[in-house]
Amino acid sequence: MFGKSFPFYNSVAGFYPQSTDSRRPPGTGYTSKVRVRDRYHIVGFISSGTYGRVYKAIGKNGQKGEFAIKKFKPDKEGEVVQYTGLSQSAIREMALCSELDHANVVQLAEIILEDKCIFMVFEYTEHDLLQIIHHHTQPQRHAIPAAMVKSILFQLLNGLLYLHTNWVLHRDLKPANILVTSSGAIRIGDLGLARLFYKPLNSLFSGDKVVVTIWYRAPELLMGSRHYTPAVDLWAVGCIFAELLSLRPIFKGEEAKMDSKKTVPFQRNQMMKIMEIMGLPTKETWPGIVSMPEYAQLQSLAVSRAPGHFSRSSNLEGWYQSCLKNNGYFANASAGTPGADGYDLLARLLEYDPTKRITAQEALEHPYFRSGGAISANCFEGFEGKYPHRRVTQDDNDIRSGSLPGTKRSGLPDDTLMGRAAKRLKE
Amino acid sequence: MAANYWASTQRRHWLFTREKLAEIRESFKEKDKVAHSQFPLPDQRLLNIYFSQQLIKLGKRMSTRQQALATAQVYVKRFYTKNEIRHTNPYLVVTTAFYLACKMEECPQHIRFVVGEARGLWPEFIAPDVSKLGECEFSLISEMSSQLIVHHPYRTLSELQPELSLTSDEVALAWSVINDHYLTDLPLLYPPHVIAVMAIIVAVVFKPSQTSFHGSAAPLAGAMRDGGLNILAALSDKNGSGPPARIQRLVAWLAESEIDIKAVIECTQELVSLYEIWEQYSEKHCKELLGRMVKTKNLDK
Repeated sequence: MFGKSFPFYNSVAGFYPQSTDSRRPPGTGYTSKVRVRDRYHIVGFISSGTYGRVYKAIGKNGQKGEFAIKKFKPDKEGEVVQYTGLSQSAIREMALCSELDHANVVQLAEIILEDKCIFMVFEYTEHDLLQIIHHHTQPQRHAIPAAMVKSILFQLLNGLLYLHTNWVLHRDLKPANILVTSSGAIRIGDLGLARLFYKPLNSLFSGDKVVVTIWYRAPELLMGSRHYTPAVDLWAVGCIFAELLSLRPIFKGEEAKMDSKKTVPFQRNQMMKIMEIMGLPTKETWPGIVSMPEYAQLQSLAVSRAPGHFSRSSNLEGWYQSCLKNNGYFANASAGTPGADGYDLLARLLEYDPTKRITAQEALEHPYFRSGGAISANCFEGFEGKYPHRRVTQDDNDIRSGSLPGTKRSGLPDDTLMGRAAKRLKE
Repeated sequence: MAANYWASTQRRHWLFTREKLAEIRESFKEKDKVAHSQFPLPDQRLLNIYFSQQLIKLGKRMSTRQQALATAQVYVKRFYTKNEIRHTNPYLVVTTAFYLACKMEECPQHIRFVVGEARGLWPEFIAPDVSKLGECEFSLISEMSSQLIVHHPYRTLSELQPELSLTSDEVALAWSVINDHYLTDLPLLYPPHVIAVMAIIVAVVFKPSQTSFHGSAAPLAGAMRDGGLNILAALSDKNGSGPPARIQRLVAWLAESEIDIKAVIECTQELVSLYEIWEQYSEKHCKELLGRMVKTKNLDK
């Protein structure tokens, strides 16, 4: 990868702010006291999203180490960039990252506000779960060792427990947001959608209409709940656990887009994908469901299918057993096995009723983590393979990137694209 | 952290001693003696009242939640521990603090609306161009090192209500004492729970019926000085006999809790001093001096 002598550190177009301050009379206007270019060499481009872009950088002038710098793009108004007020999600992410401090949450080095741009400087992480899962499907499927899955899940839950005990909901957990350092430490990243949930002033529902990438979205949200609880994050952890074992998203639905009236549609297809494995939610197993806004929609969906299409009981155990079998998880195999305890934890994470769903604290105390050997804080411990480094490119052409949702990573398809590619392969 | 005051940036970076605060303000004076002699401003305590009142006015126009207003109050105070007032347009700082606090407290207002309402209040000091506010937002966030999460005493008050079986009148009075503490340096000097306990003591010792709290603060200040402080002094003396049962219960609770009683007493004194200096406060005078400063120095441009 790029060493300190990497010669093109300044070649990534568009990263550094153009210096325009000099024309200003002193004493008026805002000028940053710290300048990005004085502290970091930009070595390349990592990814982009609707918020802006992420770059890889190395420190200079005494600043040691590698960094990932998230540059929020300013809203463009014609040729001249104007201050238009920062987005609420940028404000949230800045405030939360400045406050949070935990080994399993992404670590912020500093925030620089310079020339109408925000630069959030994070520690650099070499991997993320999306990339790791992807690697295990190449060139052919080979399971992620059971011990590694356990370490990942433990660290993820540990970070989540920290967030939840500090009243922070992540709201957008997905493999691409779970970062992994080269020494195997898990860091929960991308707090752009995270919010404080104690005594919320407005219903957490108002404001941002769409939260959590659809495949990881909890059923109560799909059913139109306006009340977010930490349980939404635990559903996402369940989905990630399943994906680590099967190397495919467990509930890969298609998102129904918002209509022109900007009303949130019922995510029929996603709910169906869940019910195909988890069975029909009933008022016996989930008493709160009858008062959910989309309950009528759910019933009409159930009726529209042939009787018996959706089982009334969960088929998760069948899914789990065939997943273990197909991926070679056996007690005597090299990958090891998550075993019966793994199934029990998964079932508790993928519990329909959010009030019964296991909490981060309870999950950490689950027998799955207590059986077997010690859990390593390095998820790669004992793993022979090698993961490719994060791809960093020099090309930073300003492709108008607002059209696709979520984070797009160069060299690595994001969830949406991977979904499409997989579909194409099947066809 | 967000829910944990003890690990918060508020406790680690935004809690000052009186001496430190005085030192900071003195250093501003040292650095720009010319501006200080050219633009004399009212006493810091009077300025505190003025800025808070302006924020409240802005908040009223936009029917804001108390929490956002309180956060904005703290932002203004934090900002002026890093910046000399005479180098800023205080009306723009107040407006920006409000705009930023609304986003942070999850009740965002559109930037154009905020600028419009601020112009309604201070047309001569706020430019119609929203980019001024956007720019000031950068400055505010940068000076506060993006440490935007603020802990307020209101939460402690609601947590303690059942524990101390406070009546709704007492809670209401304690609530307005907390509101008043934003007119002072107290949010920079003491942790929120100390403020909350102080407010509860004031509310329990002085029944709401005894005084109309807002407007005429003088009788309350007198009462607090004469009677209240004696009771507070008795708090540290567990064998003290005298105060009525209701207050004794509070005393017993305080003794059991690990609250810094000395700090609580100091807070009460600060509040007494607020009510006293309030008698000298003239909004017009503050407005004139600040207006002359902003206009002469072209700080509104």
